[in-house]
Amino acid sequence: MTALRYEARLALAIAAKDARAEMRGRQAVVSTLFFAAVVLLLFGFALGPDRARLAEAAPGLLWLALVFAGVLAVSRLHLIETDDGALEQLALYPVPRRAIYAGKALAGLAVMAVLGLVVLGAVAVLFGTSIGSAIVPLLATLMLGVVGIAAVGTFYAGLTVRLRAREVMLPLLMLPILAPLLLGAVKATAAALAGDPFGELGAWLQLLVAFDVIMLTAGLATYGYLLEDG
Amino acid sequence: MKTRILGWVAFVAVAVMALVALFLVPADLNQGDAQRIMYPHVASAWLAYLSFGVTALAGIGWLWRRDIRFDSVALSGAEIGVMFTAFAIWGGMMWGRPVWGVFWQWEDPRLTTTAVLLALYAGYLLLRRLTDDPERRATRAAIVGIVAAVDIPIVHFSVEWWRGLHQTATIGSPDKILNPAAPVPFVLTLVGMVLAFTLTWTYLMIRRYQLAQADLGREESARVERIMEARAAEATR
Amino acid sequence: MPRTTIYVSPRSLGSHDQRPPAVVTTDLARLFAGRPALAGVSLTVEPGRAIALLGPNGAGKTTLLRILSTALRPSYGSGQVDGLDLGRDVDAIRPRIAYLSHATGLYDDLTARENLAFAATMLATPDAEVRVDRALEDVGLIGRRRDLVRTFSAGMRKRLALARILLGEASLVLLDEPMAALDDEAMSLVQQLLGAWREVGVTVLVAAHSIERLESHLDGRVIMERGLVTAVAGNGVTSHAPAPLVAGHPLTVTR
Repeated sequence: MTALRYEARLALAIAAKDARAEMRGRQAVVSTLFFAAVVLLLFGFALGPDRARLAEAAPGLLWLALVFAGVLAVSRLHLIETDDGALEQLALYPVPRRAIYAGKALAGLAVMAVLGLVVLGAVAVLFGTSIGSAIVPLLATLMLGVVGIAAVGTFYAGLTVRLRAREVMLPLLMLPILAPLLLGAVKATAAALAGDPFGELGAWLQLLVAFDVIMLTAGLATYGYLLEDG
Repeated sequence: MKTRILGWVAFVAVAVMALVALFLVPADLNQGDAQRIMYPHVASAWLAYLSFGVTALAGIGWLWRRDIRFDSVALSGAEIGVMFTAFAIWGGMMWGRPVWGVFWQWEDPRLTTTAVLLALYAGYLLLRRLTDDPERRATRAAIVGIVAAVDIPIVHFSVEWWRGLHQTATIGSPDKILNPAAPVPFVLTLVGMVLAFTLTWTYLMIRRYQLAQADLGREESARVERIMEARAAEATR
Repeated sequence: MPRTTIYVSPRSLGSHDQRPPAVVTTDLARLFAGRPALAGVSLTVEPGRAIALLGPNGAGKTTLLRILSTALRPSYGSGQVDGLDLGRDVDAIRPRIAYLSHATGLYDDLTARENLAFAATMLATPDAEVRVDRALEDVGLIGRRRDLVRTFSAGMRKRLALARILLGEASLVLLDEPMAALDDEAMSLVQQLLGAWREVGVTVLVAAHSIERLESHLDGRVIMERGLVTAVAGNGVTSHAPAPLVAGHPLTVTR
């Protein structure tokens, strides 16, 4: 088996393990979904009831909810590893660190993708945005955005899982990094919903792609350093 | 000794440039005296970014060579950098208020990016505080510093794009000054200010680095002493 | 009940004379928050031997094992496993080591078999399915293979962790107080394991408070106290006193 196939197999095994443990145990997906729903509800109270204003703010609210819920989701996925010292054991296996990062990021992506679809639907309902023909660019934006959140989040969750005050350090470290992703995703979403009147959608999507590629590379390269010296 | 001389030279340079910027160089035709704050503001911003670059590169140095001196450099860059960043933002706001009419303009890439820079610095320094073991601290800080440094250009680009699509008023915007056709006195003052600030930065970096190394040295001696004590205690049983 | 023969995969380790010492440490020291957990341990362990690390709590046994397992870096000193350096050759050392710590590293929300199957993938165990079931049988957990580890007692978790070690091909096994939570029935499991590993030539380091039941399976003993080796007995292990330590440029003292 070539090295790449081997690493891919490892990453899939890790992602599968995370998915399985998550589904049986902590119900992270469900509780994170509810959190996102509550956030949207509060947005409605804070900015409503003017439907026009809510509809205009909808792309921003969508991505804010996803980013905040995303912090929770990636945090939960790394909490699996605090079961009886599982992270230390994971670090001792003779496997490339890249594969561990890839596996955990993949699991994070799966959770975020589910989250994204649900939140998109909720926003459409709550804030009166009509999706209609914009479904393809919207889904593309959604996927690119959640890849970025998963890539950055997995990395910082791994960093903070063994840290004191990790509940506040994770968002504090993660959120400033996500600023350009947030900007790009919101702009792309708004453009897609409006039918891309200025032709800017392509540029914003490119920004998202660049962000994702850069952050995934950084994560793959440096996750190993996080695992050492427990 | 040499560092002390550097310190004095830097101090004098800053004082001289302050006087020049305040009294000697003519005021801007459009913006009036408010424009004078541009000089220290731009100089600070330059050093804010330089510091961050130094911190990130020093982090790479630590990961590669495992020499703790790299980490002391990184720490110095972060602490000194956060000072210049805060000053740059304050200066930007002070300049923006009379010129734009508001303290903050989201589409100004420099101001917004520098704000993100401040948040990244804050995270970096807080992270350092949470780890006691010097090697673990150095490794964690290095990674965070590198990822943050990689993010900064992306932030800058995205905000520029943001602005590009909204065509906000550029008349009287701070940008007008920083172009090749600007009058010579302005450019000279700016260059002089940047040099003076850079000298100050260098002095501060050296001092902070020395302090960090001294701290490490003390910790090291304490550790070694503790170990020798343990051995002595065992030997006399 | 554990079976009478445990399957330990054969490994080609070479004859005793051809192999480098399993473990060599030189002035190994480690501090936590300024307190020395290890204050200068220099040991040499011959390959294929079973050695006990004895001493009270706080003696540094766990810290020493953690450093040898590559989970922890030393503050000072150096070490080699199978001739490979603990600082530089970490990636080469990891496949050769199996470590049972106080924490079992098992996932509560996975079944026993799923935990082992995951470990088998990480360890690249050949014939994974067969080996997993065999390992479960050997430690007496085959009947509970479909139960979540969350429902397991401390003793059962330890046994499952030992089963995980059987999936690998380590040449050095580090056991930190393996008997601590084991029930009587499973005590014999550890004895059988020690016997099985000896036959294959695996080196074993066992940390314990006392070694009553294991005496006949051990070659040598190391007594530790307050981060230092105070005595060595039996075959297969030697130690020497630590060299003086001098404060130098921060963190450039021998590492």
